[in-house]
Parts: sequence; C-alpha cells; structure tokens
Amino acid sequence: MSVLAPGSRVVIAGFGSEYRRDDGVGSIVAASAASLRPSTHEVGPLSDPLDLLGQWDGAALVVVIDAVRSGAAPGTIRVIEMDVGGVAGSDDERNIESHETSTHGIGLAGVLRLATALGRAPARLVLVAIEGREFGFGQELSAPVEAAVPEAVRRVVELIEEARTCA
Amino acid sequence: MTHGAKSSRTISAQGISRVEGEGSLRVDVRDGKVTDVALDIFEPPRYFEAMLVGRHFSEAPDITARICGICPVAYQMSACAAMEDACSVSVSDAIKRLRRLLYCGEWIQSHALHIYLLHAPDFLGCADAVELAERDPRVVERGLDIKRTGNLIMEAVGGRAIHPVNVRVGGFYRTPDPSAIAALAEPLRRARENALATVSWVSGFVFPDVAGDYRFVALRSPSRYAVEEGRPGLFEGFDVSAGQFAELAVEEHVARSTALHSRLEGRDHYLTGPLARYAINGALLPRVAADAARDAGLGAACTNPFQSIVVRAVELVFACDEALRLVEEYEPPDSPAVEVKPRAGVGTGVTEAPRGLLLHQYEIDDQGIIVRARIMPPTSQNLLTVEDDLRRVVEDGMTLGDDDLQWRCEQAVRNHDPCISCAAHFLDVTVVRS
Repeated sequence: MSVLAPGSRVVIAGFGSEYRRDDGVGSIVAASAASLRPSTHEVGPLSDPLDLLGQWDGAALVVVIDAVRSGAAPGTIRVIEMDVGGVAGSDDERNIESHETSTHGIGLAGVLRLATALGRAPARLVLVAIEGREFGFGQELSAPVEAAVPEAVRRVVELIEEARTCA
Repeated sequence: MTHGAKSSRTISAQGISRVEGEGSLRVDVRDGKVTDVALDIFEPPRYFEAMLVGRHFSEAPDITARICGICPVAYQMSACAAMEDACSVSVSDAIKRLRRLLYCGEWIQSHALHIYLLHAPDFLGCADAVELAERDPRVVERGLDIKRTGNLIMEAVGGRAIHPVNVRVGGFYRTPDPSAIAALAEPLRRARENALATVSWVSGFVFPDVAGDYRFVALRSPSRYAVEEGRPGLFEGFDVSAGQFAELAVEEHVARSTALHSRLEGRDHYLTGPLARYAINGALLPRVAADAARDAGLGAACTNPFQSIVVRAVELVFACDEALRLVEEYEPPDSPAVEVKPRAGVGTGVTEAPRGLLLHQYEIDDQGIIVRARIMPPTSQNLLTVEDDLRRVVEDGMTLGDDDLQWRCEQAVRNHDPCISCAAHFLDVTVVRS
C-alpha cells in the first residue's frame, strides 16, 4: 500500500452524474484510482466545482476527473495542468472557464482563482479530461469512453505516484 | 454583443453567469414596449421521470437526488414524502425532526452559496465572487464558513457533505450518534452570528426600486416555518393538500421552450421560494430571525425581487437557529426508519427546497414498481413569474445602454436563484430591440 508522506495530501475528485451516461466517467475513474491508492482522499461524485473549496485545503495535489465535450474524438484523454496562482491561465484553462468544454455551470478555473484569492488553493491541480460522446439519460458509458477508463485510471495513479516521489 | 440596425437592436450574450447551470434568455422590445420575454431552461427532471418508470419505489430518493447537485436533500425529502403518502405510512416525530435538521443543513449550504458567491457581486460592482474575494476576502470567508456548517450537518445526518446517502423511504439507514449531533452546536452558534452579520451586510446594499405583483405560494405548517412538511398555501388564503396542489398546478408546453411552465388552474402564474415563504410564514420565524428582518427594514412581505438576497439572509438566520434548536433537543429515534410496505396507489410529496416548492408524485404498483412519475421543481414553477420580472425590468430600464440593460436582466434572473445545474446543456442570452 502506498503511504503518502506528511504534507503530500492528495485529493481525487470525480465530477459528473452517473445518470448522464458519459458524464459519470469522472466518478468511475476517481473511485478506481482511489481503490488502488487508498491513502488518497476521494471526494465525489461532485456536481459543482465550488464543492472543492474546503475539500482541497492543504493538498499537495488535487486530481479532478471530468467528462468534457470539446470536439475531440470520444475517449480522448487530456491531462491539463492548471496554473495555480496564475492570472491569465492557459488556453485550456480559458476553455474550461468559458463552459465550452465542461458539462458543469461553474468553471473549475474560476474556483481555482477564488481559492487563490482566499489563500486556499492546493499546491497543484491537474484536470484529467475525458472526451465524452453520450450525455443523455442512462447509466451506461459509450463504448469509446468505457474503453478509455483503464488508461485514465493509469494516468491518475501515475500523477499520485509522482506526488509521492516528489514529497 | 450588440447588433446595430436602423429598425431593430439585438443584444445578445453567451450565457447568464452565476446561475446554477445553463439556459437561455431572449427579450424582444418594440417601440419601447416589451413584446416577448422567453427564459428557456432545459429541464432534465422530465427525462428523469421516464427513467424512474420501472424502478423500485425505494430507489426514488437516491436517483432523484442526483438531479440536483445543489439541493439533493430536497429531492430525497419530496420523494420520501410521496412514497410514504402512496403507502399510507407516517414517520415518527423523531424522524421528522431529523429530516428537518438535515434540510436546514441544505438551506444553509445553498443560501450561503447563493448570497455570497452568486448574488452579492451584483450589488457590489464585482464581476464575480473572485473579484469580491480579492477585494474583501474576509467577507467571502464568512460565507464559506457558514456553508461549511451546512456541510457538517449533512455529514452528521446524511452521511456525506455532498449527495447524502443516509436517507431512505421511511426514515434513515442509521441514526446519528448523539455526540455527533452535539458537536454541531458550536459551529451552528458561530454560523448564526455570521448569518446575522450577513443580514446586516446585504441590507446595506443599494436596490433598484422595483415592486413585483406576485402571487405567492408556499407550504404552511401550523406552528413552524414550513420546510420539510406542510400544506401548499397561497398568500390570499388558498390552502390545499399536496395531492390537490398537484392537480391545480397546470404545466404547459410552450413552443419556444423545452421547459414546462406552471400555472395554477383558473389563476395565473405564481412564485415560490424565499419571498413567498417570508410573506406567508414570516410570523412563524423565530425571534432572532424576525428581529433581523425588522432591523433590515423588511415589512411583513417583500415584493422587490432584488431584495430577495435580504430575505434569503433572514432565512439563513432561521436555518441556523432552527438547526441549533433541533441539535439541542436531539434524542435518537427509537428506530432509524419505519417499515414501508408497497401497495398500489398514487402518492404526492411537497417540500420547500431552498429555491421553492418541489413536488414529487408517483404511481406505484403493488410490488412497489414505479408506474408513473412527475417531478415539478421550483425553477419551472417560477419561470413565468421570472419572465414577468424581466418584462418589468426592461420596461423600467429603457434608458439604460445595452450592456447595462443586459446586466440588469441577468440580475433579475439571479434574484430567483434558478437552479438548472442538472442540465448538461448550454445557455444563450438575447435581447432584441426594434
């Protein structure tokens, strides 16, 4: 079992509704990754990024996993390093903020900026974004998103291991 | 974005920010008069209704709670009330008190979020909560501290701060240990003080001078400010059972909108939520909340929608005070739940979600399988009234520039805290002037 060093608290947050097909992939990946690395703190399924405030205080690493809709091929995984403490943000962050890629109303980048203003931002925030295809009502993932789950879990675990190594 | 033309003017914006989710808004103005207002919100509860058919009645609280990330307790409570009505089951007073405590936790979370992070920036010239936090972090911290107290209640009673898992038809899966409930008292005392400071803070904002002609509907309860149970009542004295209300509340499809629009049969549209609750049940507020309302300058009723933030703050005081009372009087129920045996029939449940009345109605068969489901969330009930507000705001604001008028319209929508977070869809705003 991996044991994280003091001061290297890791939070894994899965976003989305398990009743909105591919929207639920974030929670599925988060739960799988957390079961492989039980020393992490899993939160979710979340609907509102504002719920991360208070959950990620003092974290060395926060990994957010969420379904997105950006026009990429379904099942595509992108690992986006959020600019903690940054002002302008990356192009990816601006897309997230503009709601064009996320299925959620309040942007993750906005919550990060809010936390930064309050001195409550985590040391590092990474978004693992999985391109969804089906967001209708139901509990089954589409085939390409289902196929992407093991790789997404592997990427999350890799991020946790990096944090542990660097601690 | 402004499209200029000699005979017409179109103002459009991509997205109303700081509402929970997304929808679209269009206002048409011709010769200085508003000819049409359309607030269109994609309404997933309708799809959930179909999804519920064929499910076991015991699944309804948890499935419907996933409709809304902001008010899952409301969905759980209305679903439980409807199923218990269908099965002719009454829960014990101890379970009712525990439900009320859990519901207070959700009100605290939801109202603190809306006041501090979504609504207050409108009155302080801030683009959003980030700007407010940069300008005055202590104020935002106060709001977040109040919200955290709601989280604590949800954890202690509901098992989780977000999307509680401890609610079932008939009561709870387990009853909280008295020590866990007692630990809520101190945070609640602090939250109540912070809520009082919130009332003072928001009552000092400058509000547009607007008065709505509202037909208020809220639950009534004989001796308490109604939250988790009561009979739907109208300001003018209308008082019906939940089942009768379900028959009276007529939902219409409007061609331009994917959302259903509610009216009371034989009457016009109506408003649920904080303004309605305060007008109908204000006399039942505990002393500390009633005093705060008086000191804030609120009368017996408030019809200025922009001042809904003050009423919401008063309800925040109420929720903290009421939760504290329930914590101090807590005795674990003899049993976490009463047994509910399914029987064929129809049941209706109505409770007060933070945004207003939430109605669930189910028909189940003798095996407890859901045959028909109807969910009427507060946002759809308020849609026509919000459109009416927008009409008034635009007519009163003809001298404003396009950007200012659009901003005022967005404020008018946020006044009613519409919740559309459950929709995985996207929003446009359009104002057309001719």
